Amino acid sequence: MSNTVLPPAESRPRTLVTGAVLGSITSVMFFAGLFAIYFSMRADANAWGSEWFPEGAIQLVPGGMNMATLSLSVVTMAWAVRSVSNNDRIHAYLALGLTALLGVAVINQTVFYLNDIGLPVDYSKATTLLFTIVGAHMTMLGIGVIWNLLLLIRAFGGQDTRRHQDLVSALSFYWYAGVAVYSIIWIGIYIAK
Amino acid sequence: MTTTDIAPDSVAVTSEQNQTFVERLVTNTSNSSIGKSWIFSGCIYFLLSTVLGFLLDIVRFDSDSYLIFSNVDKFFQFWSLHRTSIVLLAVVPMIIGLAMCVVPPQIGANSIIFPRAAAFGFWVWFLGSGITVFGFLADGGFGSPELDSQREAVALTLVGLLLVIAGICVSVICLLTTIISGRCMGMNLRRIPVFSWTIMVSGTLWILTLPVLAANSIIAYVDLRGRSAIYFGSEDVIWDQISWVFTHPQIYVFVLPLIGIAYDIVPVAVKVRQKLYNHDLVLIFSSLFGIIGFGAYAQPFFDTPGTPVREEALYVLTAFLAVPLALLLFGGLFETLRMGSKNLTRHPPAPLILSLLSIFLLISGAVVGALRAIEPFELLSTSSNTAQMKLTIGAGLVAIIAAMLWWGGLIVGKTAKQGFGLISGILITAGSLLSGLADSVNGFLGLDDFTTVGFLQEVSAEQIVKILIAFSFIGSVLILGGAVALILVELLRFKNGPVSELDPWEGHTLEWTDEIVMVESERPLLDEVGKTGT
Repeated sequence: MSNTVLPPAESRPRTLVTGAVLGSITSVMFFAGLFAIYFSMRADANAWGSEWFPEGAIQLVPGGMNMATLSLSVVTMAWAVRSVSNNDRIHAYLALGLTALLGVAVINQTVFYLNDIGLPVDYSKATTLLFTIVGAHMTMLGIGVIWNLLLLIRAFGGQDTRRHQDLVSALSFYWYAGVAVYSIIWIGIYIAK
Repeated sequence: MTTTDIAPDSVAVTSEQNQTFVERLVTNTSNSSIGKSWIFSGCIYFLLSTVLGFLLDIVRFDSDSYLIFSNVDKFFQFWSLHRTSIVLLAVVPMIIGLAMCVVPPQIGANSIIFPRAAAFGFWVWFLGSGITVFGFLADGGFGSPELDSQREAVALTLVGLLLVIAGICVSVICLLTTIISGRCMGMNLRRIPVFSWTIMVSGTLWILTLPVLAANSIIAYVDLRGRSAIYFGSEDVIWDQISWVFTHPQIYVFVLPLIGIAYDIVPVAVKVRQKLYNHDLVLIFSSLFGIIGFGAYAQPFFDTPGTPVREEALYVLTAFLAVPLALLLFGGLFETLRMGSKNLTRHPPAPLILSLLSIFLLISGAVVGALRAIEPFELLSTSSNTAQMKLTIGAGLVAIIAAMLWWGGLIVGKTAKQGFGLISGILITAGSLLSGLADSVNGFLGLDDFTTVGFLQEVSAEQIVKILIAFSFIGSVLILGGAVALILVELLRFKNGPVSELDPWEGHTLEWTDEIVMVESERPLLDEVGKTGT
């Protein structure tokens, strides 16, 4: 097969960021599918006047705390991108470390809440959907935390510099997508119940 | 800091040369090798799917022979496996394989971007496809109407499907990134060859819709795994939740690249240059065709009572829009053919004929889809579904054969026997038409999409239905013959095919040259001819 050797584009778009944006879109569409099913089933339940979640099962405080924590992580993630683009290694360590820590905190709180809720997965359609959606989001967040920690290790090795900024920018897109998904969970499930 | 470049490790080079075939296959990250792996696997699954389709049509033809599948539940499992495999294990993989091989050189990229991820995508899909098929064979599949399947095997099939989706999405992301970020200088989006453009559009729609299918699957899996299912994982409803992927409008999205294949082949085959405004219109129409194929919203299983999604304006409108769009695209090809008719010989190239046939099948599929959407006909759950799928997927398969005959020399390095390839494509076209039209008319006569044996025995009393089922069966035989012919063509190419020329068709786009070409239009090689006056 022939290999065409042509001059590269003058300003080639950043491949890693493009790939991460496409990957994030794929993840968001996965959640869009889950949300569509959740809201459709809930609308049907409301229309028939049947119970969706038992009274008091869904509490606002844990969901609200998670939303606040993830909102903070948006700031620390932006801080990390800024630090790496400025070759500021100390701030990059802090920002990436804090973002990972906040991610772990959200996962920890979610696991505690799911154990505390007192409803099994197979209690009703609503709980099946709740556990699936929240569990899938925890997985998404877990992947983000691992990616974050890998970049932190690279930063310790001096590899996260302005020349390699794309890696952190790519992670930031993925992370922001994760926070956006959680904001729907927070509003659609925890607040609107 | 000092950076020292060291010479390549001679031991490593030697060990690379000593790799076995399997080691090379697994560790290879060249876009050509990954593409060939996709195409080869897709061909095998295509053959298996057509054999399965043939067996299913035997049962429809002679309802007493349902014992081939031992019972009705098994019959249902293999019926759903046929639909799943022909789309997600045959057509889509073969298109991805073609794209892996053709798109990077066509847009002036040296290779696919993220080659390791592309290889990972293939192997994840390959593993998932094996698990899916094994799940069906282990009495799982996507459940069964009489709840007679093995729950653990159903869960296994769902895991396989999730892996298949993941593999396709990863590979498509690599392709899309290559098209968006890997184009050479001068190759702006308007100048992308139509095949690469349609891969971009369909790839985008695949990553927008297949994750929704993954969402359906994972809810069923969570509900099914390890306990009594509440609702989503109940074995008699799993297929209902995922079947939207294999019907209108989503089915169009899987075969969208056939428009690109036809528009890259026809102008070169008749040796004319399309005018630029035509090129722009083709880009717009093919994108519109892709957009109307977005089917993630059309899930009848989650219908709100009283407002079925398949009776909503959007669903009906897209069904009707598909027909004029397909006709407009055919019109564009027809105009190109008319312009270049003086350049056609008595024996036009096989890919040209097959490209036109594939667009014709697409139009037929779109017409059946539009008829299905007319509410008073009550065709939505009849064999019209099967008809539309056969015609549309048949269009995709014929286009893939055309593409293999056209770009096969570039991909494999050897030339195939065009006559055998043409026969294979004509057999599939004839089979799809015969089977599709028979099933379509049977839809009007009330034959269900999935026909249980009892129902078959009942409707078979009607002579006309029985005759049409016989036609559908003959169509399946022809499709099977086409699949076997395709495999033979490719085997002969590998074994005895003569080494292909670099540019046997005098192509217009970058994949046909290994020289440095400045891209100043959508057909850069014609620009060079214009400049040199040769």
